Amino acid sequence: MKKLLLIICLILCGCTDYAELNNLSIVTAMSIDKDEDNYKLSVLIANSPKAQTTSKEGEAKTTVYEGTGKTIAEAIKVIDKKSPKQLYFSHINVVIISKEIGKEGFLKTADWLIRHPQTRDKFYLMQVDDDKASDILKIISPLESFPSQSIATLIESSQNAKSTGDTASYSNFIGRVLETGYEPMMYTIKINGDVKKGSKQSNLETAMPNTYLSLGPLAIYKNDKLIDTSTNKETETIQIINNEIKELIYKIKYKNNNINIFSNNIKTNIDIENKSTIEIKVKAKGSIYEIDDYLNIRELKEINNLEKAWNKSIKKDIEKLINNLKYKYQSDIFGFGNMIYKNYPDRWKQIKNNWNEQFKDLNIKVKVNTKITSTGNLTKTLKEGESWKK
Amino acid sequence: MEIDKSVKKVIKKIKERYGNSSDLNTRIIKKKDKEIGILFLESASSTSTISDFITKSVIVENKPLLKTIFNNLKNTLYTSQLFIIDNFDDFPYYLSSGFTIIVTTNSKKAIIMETRAELDRGITEATSEPTLRGSKDSFTESHSKNLGLIRKRIKDENLWFEELKLGRRTKTRATISYIKDIADQNKINQIKERLKKIDIDGILDSGNIRDYLTKQKSIFPQIKSSERPDLACQELLNGKIIILIENCPFILILPTVFLDYIKSPEDQNQKSINITFTRILRFIALIITIITPALYIAIVTYDQNTIPDKLLISLAVQREGVPFPTFLEIIIFMTIFDILRESDIRSPANATTAMSIVGALVLGQSAVDASIVSPVTIIVVAITSICSLIFQDTDFINSIRLWRFLFILSSSLLGLIGMLSMSLIWITKMATLENINTSYLSPISPLELSANKDTILKLPTPRIFKRPKYISDKNQTKQRRINK
Repeated sequence: MKKLLLIICLILCGCTDYAELNNLSIVTAMSIDKDEDNYKLSVLIANSPKAQTTSKEGEAKTTVYEGTGKTIAEAIKVIDKKSPKQLYFSHINVVIISKEIGKEGFLKTADWLIRHPQTRDKFYLMQVDDDKASDILKIISPLESFPSQSIATLIESSQNAKSTGDTASYSNFIGRVLETGYEPMMYTIKINGDVKKGSKQSNLETAMPNTYLSLGPLAIYKNDKLIDTSTNKETETIQIINNEIKELIYKIKYKNNNINIFSNNIKTNIDIENKSTIEIKVKAKGSIYEIDDYLNIRELKEINNLEKAWNKSIKKDIEKLINNLKYKYQSDIFGFGNMIYKNYPDRWKQIKNNWNEQFKDLNIKVKVNTKITSTGNLTKTLKEGESWKK
Repeated sequence: MEIDKSVKKVIKKIKERYGNSSDLNTRIIKKKDKEIGILFLESASSTSTISDFITKSVIVENKPLLKTIFNNLKNTLYTSQLFIIDNFDDFPYYLSSGFTIIVTTNSKKAIIMETRAELDRGITEATSEPTLRGSKDSFTESHSKNLGLIRKRIKDENLWFEELKLGRRTKTRATISYIKDIADQNKINQIKERLKKIDIDGILDSGNIRDYLTKQKSIFPQIKSSERPDLACQELLNGKIIILIENCPFILILPTVFLDYIKSPEDQNQKSINITFTRILRFIALIITIITPALYIAIVTYDQNTIPDKLLISLAVQREGVPFPTFLEIIIFMTIFDILRESDIRSPANATTAMSIVGALVLGQSAVDASIVSPVTIIVVAITSICSLIFQDTDFINSIRLWRFLFILSSSLLGLIGMLSMSLIWITKMATLENINTSYLSPISPLELSANKDTILKLPTPRIFKRPKYISDKNQTKQRRINK
């Protein structure tokens, strides 16, 4: 009897979340636009039945469904009616929002994304600058089978090779919004080329794709609202300060030379000295990557001077960025306020209501320590009449 | 019953008992006024031995000086094994065992001599437990040969054989073998007690008595059987008790614990560090073979969010157009594989080629092409089945199969939660098993650290000094430490 009861219990409470894979529409990317009062939502479904026609196994072509509604949930409802299968949201890789949503404040939109039981917080959140967010999903990428993957690869590969960081992740953005004395940033993405051409399979047939996606500079937010988009140079400097750079190619001007310095060893520490002083320390080691004119690098003096020039250049960049943050953007993206809040909570209580003004008065010191350790495989500069061999 | 004094009457009686069976041979030899009767079953005894040594000596050796012919015969027969009985009821047992009986006039006793025929195959290579490194011989159907195979390996007078007769009709010899000063007497007594209680008409194989020797119900086998004398001797030296049954090449080893199935007899003969690795491999295979189908069902039908997105999409695209639910798909193909395996064992050797073609081509390739089954399911079933075949014991493989089905059932009802609950049930079930005072999960639970030198981890033999305590706590030291 007891055993029978146990079996009945098992059967009755079972099968609640049962779903076969071929009855799901796996959503891997989502874009949110807003015109006037309506949200316009696009979802990218990765396991489209179109994939059946291709002979390659595992490769999926994608389908994009659109829906509009006063709220996100309403828009989803519209899409649900269009899609023959049940929408499945737990594998969302990328969410792309339009500029309007950023300006209006993202938290309103964020509620659904967090509250929905299926969604995870490990996806990339990005913003478009001038394009429509829904267009991003339509671009067919030459190297990955569907756009969401190509965006994710774009972020991840640049994370390892050149720049970017987990700044792009959704949880990081929301975390920054909610944290005291911290302002968030968001990466932008843009379409190069024509959208219509890019959404056709023929985009893949040429060796040089007409249309492709690329990562843009960081958009700077205050609370959950978009302030402005930074320049490329500023983005690089922000990444240096955030320790998000693994490899950096830095161009400096020295004696009419354009010299590129390659560095994969840059470390930044932000310390708070006292209630109104913060120190940014940058340590960088690099090697010469390219010299476009003659420079006698066999002399140590030149190298030392080069180091100094690099040092100055980085310092100037950082100071310029801080200045812009203070006056132009008025956004504390490095969390200086948060440092004061953590180290001097009493002080924070006094200044928190007036932080915008106090931030301008904050004394931020910049210390840069650079070193050039190697000149690459060449020990000289190439010059006629001189052997390039060692 | 007493033996009749008249030889003719004795012969008449025994013929009645055997219902005039054609293989019952009798001969009466007259010596003056006395008669000597020779009885034997020609099917069970070696007739040439009887005529060469027994009949000859009865006829030729004639010393009338001695008072009775009985004593005369007793002292002159050319045989190594001779004894005297006085109970007529013992006659059928000895006759059927291939003994020759001699009765004389006016004697209430009978002379019994061993003249058994060689009715069994010789010692051959072990077929069900093949090894690469180790002795090649295996137990046979001959009881005395089996005892000899153990005796020749352990030349110690403390190796004791205790014999019981099982089965009212078969009167099968069952020998309990152990090393007196190592094995746990309590365990021996329990085994003897349980064996003595058996009252059945026939015991033909050691598998028949297995269920009498355990008390708890379980899916996993609680008594290991083996046909390898080297394994038997290894276990005897560890303090275990071996039961040999007449006419059965498989011995029983008691007490058996779960980890015995992870071990292989050749483990003792190879480099210990590699054996550790092999055992870890076997353990991984065990886990894979039990949970893979269940895990697949759970993550594909309930917990899709646990799969990396690229894999999920590839799985989803492969499943497109498959008509059955994943659960049914797995059940169908697991069953088909098991049928295939079963028929492969039973079928004659020349039918296996046809079967492998049907199995590989029709069930694998064509089923996928016809989108009756998704390719991943085939992969899951294949991995599961291959991993289960890493074990040698058929009973063990079959019990793994049953547990696997339970896991599949639970995960198809409750997803990952169901699978995890079933694994809890599984472990609890194993941990509560006990046979002759030995816990099934020892020496891991209850933990005995010193015995763990040869479980999943295998230390080199010079570093294992003690016998496992869970088997026997008598005479623990196995070897003396060598000072290098």
